[in-house]
Amino acid sequence: MQYLDLFIWWAITISGGIAFLILVSIYLYANSRTKRKESRTTTNRVKLGKDFVFVWVLIGLLAFYIVSVNIRSPVIFASGNIIVEAILIVYLVKNRHEKSEQTPRPRSQ
Amino acid sequence: MIVPRRDYWSIHPSSVYQAFETSENGLSEQEAQRRLRTYGHNELPRPRFSGVRVLLRQFRNLMVVILIACAIIAGFFAELKQSIMILSMIALSVILGFYNEYKAEKIVVDLRQNVSIKAVVTRDGKPSEIDSRLLVPGDVVSVYVGDIVPSDMRVVHSKDLQVNEAVLTGESFPVEKTSNLLDIEGQPAPQQLTNYLFMGTVVVHGDGRGVVVSTGKNTEFGAISRSLARSHPETEFQKGVKMYGKMLLTLTFVLAIGIFSLNAIIGRSLIDALLFALAVAIGLVPELMPAIVTISLSTGAQRMAKVKTIVKRLVSIEDFGNMDILCTDKTGTLTEGKIVLEDYSTLHEIKDPRIITYSLLCNAAVVGERISGNPMDAAIWQYAIEKGEVESTKPYIKIDEMPFYYQRRMMSVVVRKDGELTIIAKGAPESVLSKCTHAEMMGKSEPISTDISLSIHDKFLDLSQQGYRSIAVAYRSIESKTSYSVEDERDLALLGFLVFTDPPKKDANQAVTKLKEMGVDVKILTGDNELVARKICDDLKIPVKRVVGGSELTEMSSTQIKAAVEETTIFARITPEQKLDIIKALKANGHVVGFMGDGVNDAPALYEADVGTSVDTAVDVSKEAADIVLLEKDLLVLANGIEEGRKIFGNTTKYILMGTSSNFGNMFSAAAASVFLPFLPMLPMQILFMNLLYDVANMTLPTDNVDEEYTRWPKGWDIGFVRKFTLFFGPFSSLYDFLTYGIMLFIFGAYVATPSATALFQSGWFVESFWTEVLVIFVIRTRRIPFLSSRPGKWLTVLTLSCVAFGTIVPFTILGNFLGFTPLPVDYWILLILMVATYLLLVDAGKVFFYKICKF
Repeated sequence: MQYLDLFIWWAITISGGIAFLILVSIYLYANSRTKRKESRTTTNRVKLGKDFVFVWVLIGLLAFYIVSVNIRSPVIFASGNIIVEAILIVYLVKNRHEKSEQTPRPRSQ
Repeated sequence: MIVPRRDYWSIHPSSVYQAFETSENGLSEQEAQRRLRTYGHNELPRPRFSGVRVLLRQFRNLMVVILIACAIIAGFFAELKQSIMILSMIALSVILGFYNEYKAEKIVVDLRQNVSIKAVVTRDGKPSEIDSRLLVPGDVVSVYVGDIVPSDMRVVHSKDLQVNEAVLTGESFPVEKTSNLLDIEGQPAPQQLTNYLFMGTVVVHGDGRGVVVSTGKNTEFGAISRSLARSHPETEFQKGVKMYGKMLLTLTFVLAIGIFSLNAIIGRSLIDALLFALAVAIGLVPELMPAIVTISLSTGAQRMAKVKTIVKRLVSIEDFGNMDILCTDKTGTLTEGKIVLEDYSTLHEIKDPRIITYSLLCNAAVVGERISGNPMDAAIWQYAIEKGEVESTKPYIKIDEMPFYYQRRMMSVVVRKDGELTIIAKGAPESVLSKCTHAEMMGKSEPISTDISLSIHDKFLDLSQQGYRSIAVAYRSIESKTSYSVEDERDLALLGFLVFTDPPKKDANQAVTKLKEMGVDVKILTGDNELVARKICDDLKIPVKRVVGGSELTEMSSTQIKAAVEETTIFARITPEQKLDIIKALKANGHVVGFMGDGVNDAPALYEADVGTSVDTAVDVSKEAADIVLLEKDLLVLANGIEEGRKIFGNTTKYILMGTSSNFGNMFSAAAASVFLPFLPMLPMQILFMNLLYDVANMTLPTDNVDEEYTRWPKGWDIGFVRKFTLFFGPFSSLYDFLTYGIMLFIFGAYVATPSATALFQSGWFVESFWTEVLVIFVIRTRRIPFLSSRPGKWLTVLTLSCVAFGTIVPFTILGNFLGFTPLPVDYWILLILMVATYLLLVDAGKVFFYKICKF
């Protein structure tokens, strides 16, 4: 297989992986909203955008990885990773609050 | 041959002798031997402890079956190395499981000591003591205070005979037994048969003689154990593991077929395609799951043993932790299980010390090193000793005694003090009152008027409604005579009454509150009446939502029972069968039900419940039926055990979640890569090696710390959650596998597909895949911030990091060379560290997102 063909196949595979992850995220998000019986009217675009920050990070990562691998530069790849790590740490600090770590009581008693 | 009949309660003792071809002189020794050959020994059949059975049980596991199938397929295609590696994994899992279960069962067998019971039997006209296993129908057996009744008997003679039948009926107060005929239509319940003695019950007062009517498995005791001669119902955990196995099987099957087909289509050799598909399939199966589960369970069992909880059936531990309803009897768990004197007073609530003095004088308890005899009389002595009131009896000399008889339900004594004689009577209130003409009112003896009579009756009614048992004390001066009789029990003056109760345990409230806080609702299933059960709940401040009696339950349909069990706190006056119905209804409603009991009548319920818990002091049949045996009948011990069970479940769940998601991710990326890569992304041997190393890293997972919030509530097995978790976290691992492919192919030039480039690619992916697969344990094991707010277990950290170090150096070793790896360049290690750090942070971010929307 030629280099270019291989690269295209690789780019398709990694994009497919991220697309799959995004689809699973959307499915789980929609599923949880159905369970909580949240109506469409309560959907707030800003809230939706915030909830999906994680997905935006994934898309950004995809773009960065494809570009850096295509350039074939270990330095760019390494520095890009450091930037991504910094972004993720900020995301984690902002989004990790006690409530998300609590276990809800599963059954009504 | 004796024709068995069931209605010996309705025939005269002489007819009972006749029916059994025996007499007051008993059977002849010869006839007894003959009957022993015909009817067999008077013992209950017990399941034998078998090591082979424990070993075979290890193979009744879907994971093991899948692995055996894979080993056979690999062997069939001459891939002996692979086959041996898989078989080694199975052997490791089976040996670990066998060793731990065998050890656990052995503990319980040791605990169940075979103490032979002796019986006094009359044969050839002579009484002698024999091993109760040698009793036969028709034997004439004498019983005395403290004896355990050795078989079912029809009473032919009794003297103040009282028996505690709690083990059979759940009733904690003794029952009086006589030889009187009974007129009962239909099939009576054991508690109705007052002229029968039942195997396993205990004589607490008096003595008696009976004709053995049934032995061994034909006794009431035996009937209950017979109902247990079926296999244990599957626990919720076992059901969950089975479902999980099915899910994996489907996934493995679909993926293996897909990989094989795709590789065949793109022109790879069929054998290569098949072996690669097989390796990926094996990669998906968490090979050591049975072993990890068993290690988890047995280390947990050892920890539980330290908190006085012996686990008989390891698989029940998880359900023990997940239990959300605990059904328990009252006696001995919520109460002390012994009768104590709660209070005494006159009709005007005055604590007249004479009540105690008189009831000590008019008392049939035997006071020696320990107090024995009628529990109420013993309780009076106990009270007097504790309060230092025994001395008050010293000025009195007992002149005569009219002992307690069942017919009159009272006893009396004549005593002398300072030359004055007094007759004191004590007994059932209605019996004593019938002999009273006066009542002591504010220190003065007054004739019992209609008003006084009413107030006396109201008082006793009020006490019984509060769940107390009471007895009355009366007296009068009596003239000196040569002898006294029951005729002298007349014209008495009622002095007061004594109030008895089986008191609540001091720590029962704390235990019930702790269970409530842990999400376990306590329901009381008792043979006692509603009032007694309600009083205990009131004393312990256990909120009672609803009380349902046995008769009410009988009239309910199964749908009504299902609804009633949800809102009922006390089930009173219920039969063993009804206990079973309640547990079945709760299970049908989706609860994980625990049952705690120690009597023979509890055994079927212990068997049916998801977690049957008994106590060390329980009758053998109960211990036999139980999954867990407490060394102390204490709800706090049980609560500690539940907490331990939750930790074990938590660690097992971690393994499943991590194993499935990372294996799924790795194997998915291997499958995808095999389609576009000109070579296999990893050799089958390399995949198996990585899995083995990963499982070794997980071996110490059972010892990991479990976050406090995880043990707060019971958690059921949720296969839907496992599926979601796998779907969400699996692709993270795939994503970084794909990224590694890109780096190896395009940055490190493996796209040229030469053998050395291929080895470099495979080595790079092996190390990345192994690092991500193993290190993610620290992120996924908690919902909190890894290391900062939730520290992993010491051994988990040590072993995991050691495995990572080993996996890192493998490409540089002979073993690595044998497996087809090659050393990796320094640049790669720098990129790998950064890439894995990003991966772990991304998974942690994903965790925040995931737990926001998926609850577990």
